[in-house]
Amino acid sequence: MIQNPIGAPASGAALTIDGLTVDFAGFRAVDTVSTVVEAGELRVLLGANGAGKTTLMDLISGKTLPTAGRVFLGEREITGLEEHRISQAGLGRKFQIPSVFRDLTVRRNLEVAACRNPGVFANLRLGFSPAQTRRVEDILDQVGLVTRQEDDAGSLSHGETQWLELGMLMAQDPKVILLDEPTAGMTEAETMKTAAIIKAMRGRHTLVVVEHDMAFVKEIANRITVMHLGRVLAEGSVADIEANAEVRAAYLGAKGIR
Amino acid sequence: MRLTKSGLNTATYVAFIALILAAPLVFDPFWLNRLSKYLVFGMLGAAIAVSWGYAGILNLGQGLFFGLGAYAIAMSLKLASATSLAQGSDTPIPDFMLWNAEPGAPTELCCITKGSFLWIPFQSPWFGIAMGIVAPVAIAFGLGMVVFRKRISGVFVSIITLSVVLLMRLLLVQAQPLTNGFNGLTDLGYLTVLGLEFDPYMPQTYYLVAISLALVLVGARLLVETRSGLILQAIRDDDRRARFLGFDVPRYQTFFFCASAAISGYAGMLYVMASEFASPTFMDLSFSITMVVWAAVGGRNSILGACIGAILINMIEATVSETPALMEAWRVVIGLAFVFAVLFLPRGLAGLAAGLRDWLVARSEGARPHAAPIPAAEERGRA
Repeated sequence: MIQNPIGAPASGAALTIDGLTVDFAGFRAVDTVSTVVEAGELRVLLGANGAGKTTLMDLISGKTLPTAGRVFLGEREITGLEEHRISQAGLGRKFQIPSVFRDLTVRRNLEVAACRNPGVFANLRLGFSPAQTRRVEDILDQVGLVTRQEDDAGSLSHGETQWLELGMLMAQDPKVILLDEPTAGMTEAETMKTAAIIKAMRGRHTLVVVEHDMAFVKEIANRITVMHLGRVLAEGSVADIEANAEVRAAYLGAKGIR
Repeated sequence: MRLTKSGLNTATYVAFIALILAAPLVFDPFWLNRLSKYLVFGMLGAAIAVSWGYAGILNLGQGLFFGLGAYAIAMSLKLASATSLAQGSDTPIPDFMLWNAEPGAPTELCCITKGSFLWIPFQSPWFGIAMGIVAPVAIAFGLGMVVFRKRISGVFVSIITLSVVLLMRLLLVQAQPLTNGFNGLTDLGYLTVLGLEFDPYMPQTYYLVAISLALVLVGARLLVETRSGLILQAIRDDDRRARFLGFDVPRYQTFFFCASAAISGYAGMLYVMASEFASPTFMDLSFSITMVVWAAVGGRNSILGACIGAILINMIEATVSETPALMEAWRVVIGLAFVFAVLFLPRGLAGLAAGLRDWLVARSEGARPHAAPIPAAEERGRA
């Protein structure tokens, strides 16, 4: 169990969480959570509903302010910064409920995400560089939305919307990406395509993924962190977690990961 | 000939600009003066489209910026009028200041009434012109920094802007010795810059308004076509997503809120030149709401659409007002037009035009000969 403060981030760590805690009027949704995600790793966050997975993502990405604890992105502390500052520091996030710009075309959505410079004056120019255009076209191809690029994002199906949001994260190109249930509500075929997209993102990005679908987790995970009632219950490889008695009792049930 | 969407969009702008520049060939000076006022309202429509359509900020106090621009230049023009020069002082003094002054007060701008010194720099028309833009932008900036930093959005922004315009109107009326209160600023001189005198009934004033409108339309359209404009629309659709992509949302909102204020302030200045008065009625709530109706009917997502909506409604109103019975009914007609636009034409007249444009493009491509301007296509079209 890793619940002791870690202190300064180790080199090679992409994301270091140190004793992160949030207290909602006496209810500790996330309680002294510490973990280190190595650069290039794909970490899965596992846990029952209410285990604090999404809240942990909110704390990391700046949506919610932590009561205690620290977060480092690489060597840089990002605790308590505004969302856009954390994002500029190199963190991207996909929401559980897909969140795209509905009245803009698919292509425009990706172009917005590809605007690397966040300033309003720096962006007072028309068009995109050939490199940016190529990047947007690559991503359209990767997420399989080439034929829908001129359609409004609001007209996409649920699965396509999720892929578009993944594509926007690729265009944003942050070091660390948090994905909150990327396969929620998807058909089996859609889930497989999503797994392929996420696998393609691995290597270029460090990923932290909240997921319930066990087949999917086994398919993509390097390491798993299991949360229970706001705390880290266990952390290790897929095999370690499968063998962990506490995890079985709390979450997986007697049959383990199938 | 192959038609493209952007080609047809450009053609619409060119046609509209050609039309307003050719108007003096058709209209007499009286109607030309009227038309120049409607073009100013068209500029206000464009300003509403920038803030409401593109930024998603429904400003119910656009009249504040219009009024500030109007008063700024009206102060300069008041000092340039013949009566101000004939008040028995070496320097011009607005006539109403003498009426409001204590007996025996010195007839000097510095000290005739409390605060009258504020008028001193307006002796230069350039200062008045500069303030006509600077004052609205400064207030929009201050307001934006507070409202958008605090992440206030939607109806609450509307309520705040509405309160601010009413507050400013109250201040303007209360500061009677300085502003002539309810009466506003009348009996203004003509603006004379670079040897050109802008008599409201002369074509040069009309051309100034028409060329200004053309530049504002093209400028605003280019502004929303920039990457920043694109990011602004993204923020309108989902500000949280935009924040998590790294954009400083309040900055974008404030920037475009200021741009909309600048256009409105400029419109206020032109209106004073065409109408020869500035009045607290510019900051009436009903006027600000009327502007929103223009934009809704014309199409708030379209800069040109909102502009044309404003001009059309005002032209119809002017025609209708010739008959007293119709004048009574006019407000009902306008109200119904607004309800109709909100319910059935969310993109206003511009939505219809976009549907037609898409149909023309599809026909010229020949790829989809069956494609007609179905409602769904209109819905998605952009003008």
